[in-house]
Amino acid sequence: MKRPVRLELGQKLVLTANRLLDGRTVWWREDGTWDLRIGQAVLLDADVAETALSRAVEEAQREGVVGVYDTAVLPVVPPEPVTVREKIRAHGPTVHPEFAVETAQ
Amino acid sequence: MSVPVGHYQYDRIDRDFLRARIAEFEGQVKRRLDGTLSEDEFKPLRLMNGLYLQLHAYMLRVAIPYGILDSRQLRKLGEIAQRYDRDYGHFTTRQNIQFNWIRLEDTPDILRELAEVDMHAIQTSGNCIRNVTSDEYAGAAADELVDPRVHAEVLRQWSTLHPEFTFLPRKFKIAISGSPNDRVAARFHDIGILARPGEDGAPVFRIFVGGGLGRTPVIGEELFDGVREEHLLATLEAILRVYNAHGRRDNIYKARIKILVQAIGVEAYREAVEAELGQMELDRYRLTPEAVAAIRARFAVPLLEAPDDADAVLTQQRRDDPLFERWVRSNTHVHRDPGHIIATISLKPAGGIPGDATSAQIGRLADLADAYSFGEIRITHLQNVVLGHVRKDRLRDLWLGLSEVGLAEANIGLIGDIVACPGLDYCALANARSIPIAQKLGARFADTALQAEIGALRINISGCINACGHHHAGNIGLLGVDKRGEEFFQLTVGGRAENGAALGTILGAALPEDETVDAIARLVDCYLGLRESGETFLETLTRLGHEPFREAAYEAV
Repeated sequence: MKRPVRLELGQKLVLTANRLLDGRTVWWREDGTWDLRIGQAVLLDADVAETALSRAVEEAQREGVVGVYDTAVLPVVPPEPVTVREKIRAHGPTVHPEFAVETAQ
Repeated sequence: MSVPVGHYQYDRIDRDFLRARIAEFEGQVKRRLDGTLSEDEFKPLRLMNGLYLQLHAYMLRVAIPYGILDSRQLRKLGEIAQRYDRDYGHFTTRQNIQFNWIRLEDTPDILRELAEVDMHAIQTSGNCIRNVTSDEYAGAAADELVDPRVHAEVLRQWSTLHPEFTFLPRKFKIAISGSPNDRVAARFHDIGILARPGEDGAPVFRIFVGGGLGRTPVIGEELFDGVREEHLLATLEAILRVYNAHGRRDNIYKARIKILVQAIGVEAYREAVEAELGQMELDRYRLTPEAVAAIRARFAVPLLEAPDDADAVLTQQRRDDPLFERWVRSNTHVHRDPGHIIATISLKPAGGIPGDATSAQIGRLADLADAYSFGEIRITHLQNVVLGHVRKDRLRDLWLGLSEVGLAEANIGLIGDIVACPGLDYCALANARSIPIAQKLGARFADTALQAEIGALRINISGCINACGHHHAGNIGLLGVDKRGEEFFQLTVGGRAENGAALGTILGAALPEDETVDAIARLVDCYLGLRESGETFLETLTRLGHEPFREAAYEAV
């Protein structure tokens, strides 16, 4: 079982997954749909993130995503993931500028 | 259609099997998309067909049996890169190719296209016997004793869909060589096999078990020497049975055969294998000369004809052109035929991504293979490409052709010939990015004259402890680690995968990413300052020990 994300002061949570059809990284929006841009992700406090995560996992097949989990971000615009791994997922591989992902809202 | 040189020729049975397998997988994909199969149910099925889910997309790993392709197959890989990927293919440390931007729904079509040229992605993942790797100079090198490709093909046929070994405790990797100079890292494989002629001329095999890198790096130990050809499959079968029966399944990190061999000792393992052999029906596994001959007959042999002055032409061209001379020095190997030479094409341009090639480069390589090497291409476990049979008097034309597509880097075996895994830019398991540090090092040592001056020095980079970049085997190894969200690199020195295999040892505390390249540059400067005439980096390190290198690497920290 995945360990709960430990939030530091000022951080929020977002939900992320990969799209079933093509594997692309996606972020959970407030209306329960998924978007390629992290700028569209809804920012969650820890106390509501668990419920949101359960809902997103339950709806994953219907929404066409796989591997749903939560990750910490800094609540800037667009949100900036805390870990290198999630930054790369949000922005694309660092070694091909032409593969950069649009992150804005 | 003419029979391709270099690899086994498929027949109707092979092709019918591939068609059936693709249809099966297409049904599985459909059921996954409509929700009939959950991700947990689907994952082992897609993995058995080489399909991973990575950070940004699905990744398809395509098998290149013993690293050998024909130009038709390579051209197809280029077409797949262009049509289904983002125009790149990535050659791996296991002689395979990976595509990093694959869509799940495209996968059956891609597999169908691969099958058109007798290729597939079966057993490139999962806890089974993976693609068998071999010497990139097989059948060409002057120092070869036995051509290992025929027995590599025997192993491919034996291990493909083997009913007992489809769900092993963990993945299983076999390498086979027929040269006294180990170019397959035999002692870093679950099973490493070295073939040589026996007293009667028939091949005999020296077999190592329990080698590997990853979380627990171990140098494989000799289990048997002098195994006769007829007993090769029975012996391997018995080794795998002992592992399958006693290998741990309770802990993924303790499940490889190396852990079992270390736990019970190689003598006990040997006894267990001998006991297994004692109760096996050996006739069933006997590899007869007729069976070997039938497989050998499915390999086309290149007609090696060269003009009498081929060697003299090459000698003159080397004298006339210093840049060509530098490339020949680093990128060629002696062929068994005096009129021919083996050319290694570097996929390590200065500042580039190790092992990557664009679809245009892949297509051009296929054209050059047709023009200069009987349409045959080999992929090396060091992420380069080999044309095995180039006529000496035509080598310069090949080099000029390579120059036109940026593939004439003169750095094979030198510091710019960096091995690196995809790392955190793509891989879901990685902790740190391997490619950017490889690019920075490649740019730092871009001058090929400087590389030649430094001499033989291999750098290997892994983005996590799984060690796909074989960092333990690097003369200088880099292991990426995550320290509170920041990338650091742990340095090891002294590793080597060739004869006298050794594991690198840690030089000191892991360095921040932005200090790592400077530290390695100081380490190389230290070597240049301390080496005696003709000494390689490893020889100087062996003579002086780690201390001067540790001081140099960490002096500014």
